[in-house]
Amino acid sequence: MSSQAQILPGTLDLLILKAVSLGPLHGYGVLLRIEQISQGALLVEQGALYPALFRLVRQGLLKASWGTSENNRRAKFYELTSAGRKRLQQEADGWNRLATAIASALNARPEEV
Amino acid sequence: MRLLSSLRSVLSTLFHRVRVEGDTEEELRAHVQNRADDLERSGLARAEAERRARIEFGGHEKFKEECREERGGNFVQVLLQDSHYALRILSRTPLVTAVALLSLALGIGANTAIFSLIDTVMLRLLPVRQPEELVQILREDPSRAGIATSSFTNPLWEQVRDHQDIFSGTFSWSDSQFNLAQGGAARYVNGIYTSGGFFNTLGVRPVAGRLFSDSDDRRGCPATAVLSYGFWQEHFGGEQSAIGSTLSLNNHAVQIIGVSSPGFYGVDVGSKFDVAVPICAASLFDGKESRLDHRSWWWLNIMGRIKSGLSTDQCRVRLAVLAPQVFAGAVPQDWDLDGQQRFRKRTLVAVPAASGTSDMRKQFSQPLYILMAIVGLVLLIACANIASLMLGRAAARHKEFAVRKALGASRSRLIRQLLTECLLLSTVGALLGLLFARWGTELLVRYISTASNRIFLVLSLDWRVLSFTASVAVLTGLLFGILPALRSTRASLTSAMKGGDQTDHSERRGRIRPGKWIVASQVALSLVLLVASGLFLHSFFKLVTLDLGFDRRDVLLVRTNLKSAEIPPGRKNAVFDDLERRLGAIPGVLAVGRSVRTPVSNFEWNQHVQVDSPEAPRGEDALVFFNFISGGYFPTLHTPLLEGRNFNGRDTESSMRVAIVNQTFVHKFFPHSTALGQYIRTDDSPGKKAPDIQIVGIVRDSKYESLREDAYSQAFFPASQIPKAADTENFELRVERYPFGFISAVQDTVRQLNKGISLDFRSLETQVNDSLVQDRLLATLSTFFGGLALLLAMIGLYGALSYLVTIRRAEFGVRIALGAGPASILSLVMKDVAVVLGGGVAAGAFTSLLTVRLLQKMLFGLTAYDPTTMLAAVGLLSAVALLSGYLPARRAMRVDPMVALRYE
Repeated sequence: MSSQAQILPGTLDLLILKAVSLGPLHGYGVLLRIEQISQGALLVEQGALYPALFRLVRQGLLKASWGTSENNRRAKFYELTSAGRKRLQQEADGWNRLATAIASALNARPEEV
Repeated sequence: MRLLSSLRSVLSTLFHRVRVEGDTEEELRAHVQNRADDLERSGLARAEAERRARIEFGGHEKFKEECREERGGNFVQVLLQDSHYALRILSRTPLVTAVALLSLALGIGANTAIFSLIDTVMLRLLPVRQPEELVQILREDPSRAGIATSSFTNPLWEQVRDHQDIFSGTFSWSDSQFNLAQGGAARYVNGIYTSGGFFNTLGVRPVAGRLFSDSDDRRGCPATAVLSYGFWQEHFGGEQSAIGSTLSLNNHAVQIIGVSSPGFYGVDVGSKFDVAVPICAASLFDGKESRLDHRSWWWLNIMGRIKSGLSTDQCRVRLAVLAPQVFAGAVPQDWDLDGQQRFRKRTLVAVPAASGTSDMRKQFSQPLYILMAIVGLVLLIACANIASLMLGRAAARHKEFAVRKALGASRSRLIRQLLTECLLLSTVGALLGLLFARWGTELLVRYISTASNRIFLVLSLDWRVLSFTASVAVLTGLLFGILPALRSTRASLTSAMKGGDQTDHSERRGRIRPGKWIVASQVALSLVLLVASGLFLHSFFKLVTLDLGFDRRDVLLVRTNLKSAEIPPGRKNAVFDDLERRLGAIPGVLAVGRSVRTPVSNFEWNQHVQVDSPEAPRGEDALVFFNFISGGYFPTLHTPLLEGRNFNGRDTESSMRVAIVNQTFVHKFFPHSTALGQYIRTDDSPGKKAPDIQIVGIVRDSKYESLREDAYSQAFFPASQIPKAADTENFELRVERYPFGFISAVQDTVRQLNKGISLDFRSLETQVNDSLVQDRLLATLSTFFGGLALLLAMIGLYGALSYLVTIRRAEFGVRIALGAGPASILSLVMKDVAVVLGGGVAAGAFTSLLTVRLLQKMLFGLTAYDPTTMLAAVGLLSAVALLSGYLPARRAMRVDPMVALRYE
């Protein structure tokens, strides 16, 4: 458990967009994909995923359609819209800039000051 | 794009609610199943895998609710759902709902009714072309700046009309009454004299024929008339043939030339015109001494339409420049030099007249504002009442809220639910209130109409009234809903689930306190209302029981007019004498008197009087109010003669001039000497010396024109010695009972003498009471609303205490089990009552003392701080509060300890 981290507020949307950008997924699939691409380091509260998905659909970043899952269950699949793709790009850039900045700040040594 | 997809999401949620709801459910369940599949593959049994999957997923309903919120379109859906639920909840407690609805409907209805009167009388614009350009022109005496007067003489109006250059149109008008009947009982219609520009300047169009133009209003014009649409419909059935036909006004044939458009009732709010005649026609009605050239006959009002582009400031400056020329052209030659000098110095001012002019506005604006405040207070009390009802009900639904919270409802969602209930209540209340208001305003208008002053108002629900009612509804809903909603949704989950009604002590106290606050403020507001209504009632009582100096009961007043009876001036007095004798001979008539004016009427005759006495008063103090009477007048009215003699048959035109004066006259003019036998004189008129008049009698003081007046100096003269015989005189008939029963006998008697005499009937009592219409309005309505407030406060207190007793039942049970007597339980409950009552009364008394000052002007014969009224209000309120507190307290005393404890 200690190797897993609660995701930061506001980053769930970004992670979902990223996960879906790699191919259409149903809700449970998004959960598994996030676990997979973060090598199991990020923990998503399962129920909380759905309000976030609904929000992204309402904002026009995702679109949903019903289909059949790999184990033959009816499932709702989410895929990225072009607006979603643009948003993912922006958010990812922003996040990377922030991460780099924080990393370099944390790596600062006394002699560099 | 984003907007579009939001919209699509909202719409699809709205239209496919059931499907979408099912979809969400299926999606969430699929997730759990997928997870369970994975767990099963890792070696768990299916049942255990599903259990674990559900736990990992978290609060199913909570996330579903969050999904709904995220999906959008939720607001409308929630509103529908909440309203549906609210209806169910409200119909589950029909009694409470009915009480709440009734008090809301009354409260909102009363507010709407009063507001719509204020709107109609004071705020609404005239229904004419661009009313905001209209101004009324007033005259002002520089020595009395700030007090502008609206009346003008005809010569002055002609000056204004011919010299002004700032108005695109001006007009003048004067209200009057025209008699349609030719002899016999008079049938009056509301007449109006208008200048030629009246209809044109206002922008009113004819529906038939034509309206006046400048050429209709020239000296020596033929008598023509324009009818109002309503009068045309009523009297001519809307027939085109009415145009060109004649109408008899004051016994003169007048030709009808047109009909004005429907919806136009004149510029005077509170009355309407039936027939309009041009100003020049007045010479026809007046006979020899016409008011057209009379320079001190003040009868016209003037309005103008400001030329576009001119500001009110420019207008004011220009009027001040014009004024000297205007007044110089119409100086009354018969005034003394000093008076003429002052006349020339008068100036003209203009005031906005977009909403017309109104005597009614002057008379009723203050009572209406006071009533608005009163009904506002009633509504607040009703709100407080419903708030405590809601609080009580919310407490009973404590568990329900806990369960809903546990199932994932957010607090804001619960508050929204409760507020929806309240708004639903207030909306339905407001709709019912509109019905009440419709009926209430009509009732009110009828209530303030009197025989001599018939009020006419166009009562329609315009946007202003409707938006007022709508905002009152929303505000009241929020006002009585917000506190209970916040309170009842705050409860912690665990305590509610665990303990049922028995919450821990601190929380219970927290929940009761606002209830006490609400009831205490109700008590306070009710006290303010009771004090106000007590004051009005007390003042009204003083007015109706006031000693007027005459006996108003069982006297029929008959006003006679000889104008159309064709009697030569020298014979008039003899005819009146003859009439008086004949009326006195009618069986059942106990006494008859005759006078030029009747008591408490608005016809006023006063003059300055001089006496040969060193202490003689001067200026305003020397003003004396006159009446000419027959010897029967005082005995008929039961006004006692204190000294000297009454008038009799030996007082004739040629005998010594005599007078009877009242006590105030004696007090002012002869404070230290005997008045009887002294001589008095009026001011000399030009070229004629006023005769000496000997005082032969002294009568008790009596009211002259108003019940509120201080004693006036009055002098009475014999009708036989009147300087110029009048056409109109009044007869007073004292009868056994029911004066109106004598009308037909009087008509018969008069007809035998002369068919051309016109008659008008009224009772002295009505005439006196009609002068009290404002006081009666305030006294009745404030008492009604004061009573309503008392009832509401009683219900509020009863409800709050019943609730308190219910939740402390176990505690009372324990106390009784431990040996507490009924008396100590009673005192326990009554202590709460005392606290609430004490606090409320203190706050209410304080507020009253701060505000009653505003009522002083409307009161008669007592100060606004009248201690008796204040104490009576406090006493009444306390008695009612203690009674409504005692009933629940008695229930507390009877708590069976076994039942209460077992329940625990």
